[in-house]
Amino acid sequence: MDPSLYLDRDTFVHRLDPRTKMFLLLGMFVLAFVFTAPLYLLVVLAIVLFFGYLSQSLANLGRIWFILLAIAIVSIILWSIFGSGETPLFLFVEREAFIYGVSIALRLDATIIAGMIFLSTTRNEEVAIGLVRVGIPYRFAFAVSTALRLVPTIVATGLTISQAQRSRGLDLDSGNIIQRIRKHVPLLVPVFVTTVRSTNVFSMALESKGFGAGSGRTFYLHIAMGSRDALVLVVFVLLLAGSIALRVMGYGELEGFTL
Amino acid sequence: MKPEVSIEGLGYRYRGQQKPALDGVDLEVAEGEFVVVMGPSGSGKSTLCVSLNGLIPHFFRGKMEGEVRVGGRSTREGKVGEFAQEVGLVFQDFEAQLFSTNVALEVAFGPENFAVGRDEMVRRVERVLGEVSLEGFENRTPATLSGGQKQRLAIASVLAIEPRILCLDEPTTDLDPIGKLGIFEIAEDLKDRDDVTLIVVEHETEETLDADRIIVLREGKIVADRPAREVLRDVELLQESSVMPLQVTRYFHEKGLWQGQLPLTPEEGVAEFKRRGWRVSPDRHRELVEADGSREEGYGEPVIEVDGLTHRYPNGLVALDGVDLTVRRGEFLAILGQNGSGKTTLVKHFNGLLKPTEGTVLAGGEKTTEQGLRRLGQTVGYVFQNPDHQIFSDTVSDEVAFGPKIRGMKEDEIEERVDEALAAVSLEGRGDEDPFGLTKGERQRVAVASVLAVRPEVLILDEPTTGLDYAEQRSMMDLVRSLNEAGSTIIAVTHTMWVVAEYAHRAAVVREGRIALQGTVREVFAEEDELRDASLRPPHIVSFGNALGYPVLSVEEMLRVTEEEG
Repeated sequence: MDPSLYLDRDTFVHRLDPRTKMFLLLGMFVLAFVFTAPLYLLVVLAIVLFFGYLSQSLANLGRIWFILLAIAIVSIILWSIFGSGETPLFLFVEREAFIYGVSIALRLDATIIAGMIFLSTTRNEEVAIGLVRVGIPYRFAFAVSTALRLVPTIVATGLTISQAQRSRGLDLDSGNIIQRIRKHVPLLVPVFVTTVRSTNVFSMALESKGFGAGSGRTFYLHIAMGSRDALVLVVFVLLLAGSIALRVMGYGELEGFTL
Repeated sequence: MKPEVSIEGLGYRYRGQQKPALDGVDLEVAEGEFVVVMGPSGSGKSTLCVSLNGLIPHFFRGKMEGEVRVGGRSTREGKVGEFAQEVGLVFQDFEAQLFSTNVALEVAFGPENFAVGRDEMVRRVERVLGEVSLEGFENRTPATLSGGQKQRLAIASVLAIEPRILCLDEPTTDLDPIGKLGIFEIAEDLKDRDDVTLIVVEHETEETLDADRIIVLREGKIVADRPAREVLRDVELLQESSVMPLQVTRYFHEKGLWQGQLPLTPEEGVAEFKRRGWRVSPDRHRELVEADGSREEGYGEPVIEVDGLTHRYPNGLVALDGVDLTVRRGEFLAILGQNGSGKTTLVKHFNGLLKPTEGTVLAGGEKTTEQGLRRLGQTVGYVFQNPDHQIFSDTVSDEVAFGPKIRGMKEDEIEERVDEALAAVSLEGRGDEDPFGLTKGERQRVAVASVLAVRPEVLILDEPTTGLDYAEQRSMMDLVRSLNEAGSTIIAVTHTMWVVAEYAHRAAVVREGRIALQGTVREVFAEEDELRDASLRPPHIVSFGNALGYPVLSVEEMLRVTEEEG
């Protein structure tokens, strides 16, 4: 199984410059945090999903739906219990608190999906070169893209190790919380040992390929801002500005919610 | 001509180690030479590799003596990155070296570091991918390549820097026979170029025939440095150095031929055999075949029954397509096939790690889907390929006790089983040691013991000999054989062909998700053409026997059936 999220497609979003996509991602975060009313957040989520549709990367939702659902349920339950409002809904839960929970769920899921679309449409190397072009030193940019690579690698190692330990009779799904945590020791130790070992080989391989040998560096990937990027950026900046203006004018807020 | 690499009095001791990894090594390699380095595990082969580009002394911590000069320049004097243009180093663990999101970017990484212009870079990527036969793979993700392709990509990514010296550390260890061949075809092409010096660490003798020179290391010292064919004929030297001698060569050596006359390949062997007027005794050969037959009759009732098994992965890939297979109690079955043919997917159904998409798998007469993994583990034990994927305890005994303990056995019962399992793998009395301080071969044994402690009827071993030297492989497989003789049913997934020939009873060849061939090992190995279609190649002695019309499985069998009088 390929543990990375990147989908090698040729779409409008894929062809955008990585800098544009980083800006879009940041902009989406801002949009999601500007509003607290669920209807407005639904619009934000719709925009995110529209990008997902354009970039043909919604297939990856199948790989993270569980996380999205878990986050949504947890945030709705927690805010319903701990928030307060004015209109009683049922038992001790108020309507505003429940709706706020829904809003937070939409906000978190929208940002996660935006991140997923970014990783589905942008190569690690493009992230690195994008960062370099906005003035970040190459070593740091490379570290970021390596970290992005490391996560799926560790997940894949973890899956193999969990198969090995389950074959020996390890049962991770029973017992109370402390017992369950202790049961993860047979997974964590080998994951740690294997990761440290392969990271060691990785760094030797990097050195042996001349990483950091000279001061200069060229890039195989060629990135350039085009008219496409300009169009997307202009539209998006207008959208951002409009949203912030709406918010300042008092729209998109959730009324009657207190902690 | 001045030497490309010149090593004088090289010694190295890793920090925290008592014994030096290398000790007084003197070596010169001329431009354009093809040198193979052999020797047992821990003899310093990899240390020699990493000292060529300055990883020793700059990356590792330890004490270095002597001098390594590459192109006349001491490795002490420059950074690793500076030597990268002179010496290309490809590590054994190819998975850990690949990190890019597609093949072209992987290859371009080296040239990028040396600020090669973009047009030149594009040309190099194209050229190097051609050299390793990966044209058309530019946009593939490395994770989706087969083992052999990954290793070729690792080589390409180093070749793109255009080093004058290329050093490959055990490049074929994890590959199936045809994957190995692919690597050696690359070596072959490079050998013909005068501007590339090739240094390859290898433990498969069959692959070293084309080298100019073989260097044998033992305990950090060079014990032989002679032309390849001369070293390959020195059967005793190789055996003492935990290197498997060529089988045909050993056969003629045992027959008492003088060293200088020993043939090396099956073809040379057949010619020599005929020239001497020797022949195979049909009677004695029939005895071998009959022994196979009576062994087959001695097996018990079926313990694993696979019926119409199809497995489809979530991404739609069909890994297995209608497999039928029966394993009976007492069998020793080898499952063969190319990397990615579905053999590991198949055996993972036996202990319930994977569930059939269609069809059924019975273990101990009961459907695997109706038994939990833990209960199935009592019938079918699974030893994973990499022992480091399961070892987590502070002591060897704790590791072995994991299975019994998790099944709620009593203290004294656990202790008895741990002792029994450690004795079975010849690690008795070493229960208090730290498993992480053991050698790879010993860790492999701990992994086997930890599965044995549950006393399963069937033992599945996934590539049990990978990464071990010849002596370690022998001792591992002798252990497996003794477990089989004591009553365990053995299923081994492997692509070490001589191990199959000498140890397994039956073999099943998996090809594109189906069983292409099954029967006794002798029957399966007689079908050389069909094996080749499945990217497999029988060992030399088997090809030798097949060429004479009598399938034999080991040098010993060949010796038994040979008649000298004409």
